[in-house]
Amino acid sequence: MMRPRWRKVFSDLLDNKLRTLLVVISIAVGVLSIGVIAGTYVIISEDMSVSYAAHQPANIELRTDNFDEDFLATIRNTPDIAQADGRRVVNLRVRRVGSNQWVTLDLVAMDASEVDHLNRLDPISGATVPERREVILERNAFDDLKAAIGEELEFELTDGSRKTLKVAGIVQDPTTSAGDFLAPPLAYIRMETLDDLHQPRLFNRLYATVSRGQDNDDEIREIAAQLRDRIEKGDHVVIRTRLSKTNEHPMASTVNAILGILGALGVLIVFLSSSLIANTLNALLNQHLRHIGVMKLVGGRSQQILAMYLALILSFGLLALAISAPLGGQGAYALSAFIAGKMGFTLLGYRIVPIAFIIQATVALVVPIVSGILPVINGSRISVQKAFSGDMPSGEKRREHAKPADTAPRSRPRFFLPRPLLISLRNTFRRKRRLVLTLFTLTMGGAIFIAVFNVRVTLHDYIGQIGKYFLADVTLDFDRPYRLSEVEQAAMKVPGVVEVEGWAFISAEILFPDGMPADNLNILAPPADSALVAPVGLKGRWVHANDEKALAVSEALLDKFPDLQPGDNISLKIDGKEEAWQVVGIFKFTGREGVLAYAPYEYISRRTNLANRAYSFHVLTTDHSRKNQDSMAEDLDKYFRQEGFHIREARAGLSRMDTAAESLDILVTFLLVMALLTAVVGSMGLTGTMGMNVLERTREIGIMRAIGANDFEIIRTVIIEGMVIGIISWFLGALLSFPFTVMLSTIVSLAIFYTPIDLVFTPSGFFIWLGLVIVLSVVASALPARNAARLTIREVLAYE
Amino acid sequence: MIQMHSVVKTFKNAAGEFVVLKGVDLAVKSGEFVSIVGKSGSGKSTLLNMITGIDHPSTGQVLVGGVDIYRMTESKRSRWRGRNLGIVFQFFQLLPMLTLLENVMLPMDYVGAFEADARPERAMELLKMVGLESQAHKLPSAVSTGQQQSAAIARALATDPPVIIADEPTGNLDSRSADVIIQLFDDLVRGGKTIAMVTHDPSLTERTTRTIIISDGELIDETVALALPLLSHRQMLDVTKKAERFTFQPGAAILKQDEHVDYFFMITSGRVEIVLRSPRQEITVASLGPGEFFGEVELIRGGKSIANIRAASGAPVALVALHRDEFNKLVAASPLTEDTLGKIVQARIEENRTATRKGKRL
Repeated sequence: MMRPRWRKVFSDLLDNKLRTLLVVISIAVGVLSIGVIAGTYVIISEDMSVSYAAHQPANIELRTDNFDEDFLATIRNTPDIAQADGRRVVNLRVRRVGSNQWVTLDLVAMDASEVDHLNRLDPISGATVPERREVILERNAFDDLKAAIGEELEFELTDGSRKTLKVAGIVQDPTTSAGDFLAPPLAYIRMETLDDLHQPRLFNRLYATVSRGQDNDDEIREIAAQLRDRIEKGDHVVIRTRLSKTNEHPMASTVNAILGILGALGVLIVFLSSSLIANTLNALLNQHLRHIGVMKLVGGRSQQILAMYLALILSFGLLALAISAPLGGQGAYALSAFIAGKMGFTLLGYRIVPIAFIIQATVALVVPIVSGILPVINGSRISVQKAFSGDMPSGEKRREHAKPADTAPRSRPRFFLPRPLLISLRNTFRRKRRLVLTLFTLTMGGAIFIAVFNVRVTLHDYIGQIGKYFLADVTLDFDRPYRLSEVEQAAMKVPGVVEVEGWAFISAEILFPDGMPADNLNILAPPADSALVAPVGLKGRWVHANDEKALAVSEALLDKFPDLQPGDNISLKIDGKEEAWQVVGIFKFTGREGVLAYAPYEYISRRTNLANRAYSFHVLTTDHSRKNQDSMAEDLDKYFRQEGFHIREARAGLSRMDTAAESLDILVTFLLVMALLTAVVGSMGLTGTMGMNVLERTREIGIMRAIGANDFEIIRTVIIEGMVIGIISWFLGALLSFPFTVMLSTIVSLAIFYTPIDLVFTPSGFFIWLGLVIVLSVVASALPARNAARLTIREVLAYE
Repeated sequence: MIQMHSVVKTFKNAAGEFVVLKGVDLAVKSGEFVSIVGKSGSGKSTLLNMITGIDHPSTGQVLVGGVDIYRMTESKRSRWRGRNLGIVFQFFQLLPMLTLLENVMLPMDYVGAFEADARPERAMELLKMVGLESQAHKLPSAVSTGQQQSAAIARALATDPPVIIADEPTGNLDSRSADVIIQLFDDLVRGGKTIAMVTHDPSLTERTTRTIIISDGELIDETVALALPLLSHRQMLDVTKKAERFTFQPGAAILKQDEHVDYFFMITSGRVEIVLRSPRQEITVASLGPGEFFGEVELIRGGKSIANIRAASGAPVALVALHRDEFNKLVAASPLTEDTLGKIVQARIEENRTATRKGKRL
């Protein structure tokens, strides 16, 4: 038979099911969120890199001019190169037969026998090795095209002719362009199919792994430099270099940073739920004072009573753990799978993460004890006399006992607020400690909520700032160079076109003073007086028409050359030749896409023997909306094809911006979910507080009823009190949201853009949270208010 | 003003059903100052709760000011209560977060009594009436318990209700404060209010116009309580149940001299005359009114009626009568009553002898 005192603990658990549920849920919310985040962190950090490494990612990817199998064989013999594959990548437009929707993708031709070597593919459905005149679609290309296996796709070749290939399978490519959100979708063919596409059976990409230092940036860079030398000595040109470690996903640092933020929010939720637990336990102890008095009266010692209530708290924790541990495990895997899907890697399979469970168990058992220890100790030490008089020893005394200050008359009011409203207002401040804890949870929830909105706007504003470098409504890329005047005259015949600019482009490598490559450099060359670039300058000036070997660089270069100043020279390797260029200015731009530079078209076009000609044209139209840009791109594409131009792609100016913004929105959604979770914890805290307040003020509610208050008055009194707390928390949350915005924006922008960004504040977060906190307050108070209105006066007097 | 018809209240719990009020009938007229007394657990608070609408009867009807208060919802009843009843609690029950003035204004706010601008002034007038003008802006915790109860009375009067219900209003006060409160009640009754008050204090019941005693969920006949105050409440209730009720028209004979007497009579209303009759004349020995009794001399001493007893002219006489056997048992069970009645019997016999002697001289 259970001993009576433990029987009491058991009945305390079941006695007030609503209270038990409230405490258990408040613990469970924190335990669940920390479990999901810890589990996700472990799964992602283990699987992301393991899964990435399992696909044999190339450490070095070189974009080159054409080379053949013999040359590849010599590359394979280069020291420190473990493995090397050659592929040909052709950028083509493709559509489903009969469809008008063209999609531009990178078609990767590879030796069929090499499919399983570097940058391995994961099968999703159908074949993984294409036969001749077959194409395998990467998942993103499949999403864009929505083509079924066995369906014919129509490719537009560089000479304008069209060729159909059959879809043989769908795969996922976790390594090629991993972490490059702006890379075009991929499709795969075998080398023999190149003949059908009027392409030479030559490679223009080299993928290689290194035999030492696969996870060491410096060693990989050094080996890549040697490899490039060898290629250039073989009379080939390296256009672009991309380096990756074997056992670290290119997005690992970003994902870990984001998980870090989510982790911090998880800890905060635990913290908030602990204040909720403290509040509830305090109220529980208050309600149990008479029980404690009786137990002491019949010989119970403080330690015994302490042990009983600690057992009760542990029971709450265990119940919460029983709910949140399995949910946390499932949630962690689901969140990991979502992130893996977005990042394009596969998970190693569902599993229980022991450390996540240990963290959950610790939080579930320790946090309630820590939160509840003070009220429990106070409660267990109370004297019998005090227990019966209803005073917690160090708790807040009931107001019936006059404090010296209370004997003074209150200042005479100049005007009288309605007394029911006055009751709500004064009730709010009666239990100050409880109010502080409730305000703390709601304020934190609100501050994060508002900050997330600010972060979202800040990120979008930054994307908008990046858009200042891409003001063209439509970008036209041709397969051959055309005279500026020719394209301009043609384009101006399309209604809506306002201005046309021809842009040049060269790529280079930036070299450290010791000659080692520092980074790739894309040099865009608009006319010096271009209306389609509005740079945000940091230092120095923009390029001039008469500048030669001069450029303005993005701030990302400061990572490599922190002391770089306008006027300094940097070494660039262009077409295999090393040259000194002068930096005339540094402008603000994301470091996500590497280093970007601008040089004047006037110089670059001469240098590339394309004076007054260009491959790429940027068009300004009358309407800058995305919808108009899409239709203008379609019109221009159609028109230039009709006129016999070899156009490769006509792209809406905002298309890439929108893609970037969408990927940011996923992050913001995550943050918002966490913010809502904190808001939920906050409103649970408010529900608990209001419930406790109503319970403690049952007598007063009875009095109000006795002197004429009807249901509406009682409900209003309780709800207004809840709303007052909500509105105070809004004010505090609004204030606190400013430092939170700074903190969150800085962490997120460094993780995503590799650069701190300018903060933008939006009123929408403040207003939405105001609306939400009022709704939450009303909802949180509604149940206690309804219960209050249901109390009959007899019950009230019986309670007393 | 207050009418209760066959009110039964039953509480249920795991141990079974408890009938707390057993078919109570009660009528309180407008302007009466009624005290309700009874031992702990007798049902007096439940009775009060029935009148205030705080609880509802299991069966029966309660009318206050002609309104059947249990035909309303709880919410509407609250509003009705605010307008029509002022309640004074034993523990004052002022809201601790409001000043005395605000506490007094609160019922007016709830029921919309008086113009909003006039409420502070009215509340202040009421506080002035109870002597708390200078304390108006203090919180309840800052004034004495007597002052808190005075403020609670001011609050009960806030909406100018015709009926005041008080549950042991002086139970928590010292005698001086209690006097002030009762004086206030006296003034209110003089002003036309109807007051029903539960009290334990016999000294207070003396100041009310009527005392209702409740015992074990039933009301004790007020005539019995007046006539035999030294009986225990249980004995009074026993008498109430066993007694018979008679009514005599003015001038009608109730007992004749030398007639066998079987009842102990207690007068509920009207007056009776005790008359000695000689061949030459009638001598009125005494005139008895409500709460007085007769027949005890014959029942205690034995023998026949020593005088003629008749209903006085002017109004009918209502009597409560206890049969000889029950009376004898009762007297045997209550030595105090026996002793008191013995003294009364002696006194009355002496009165009779004196009157007889006077009659003979005449």
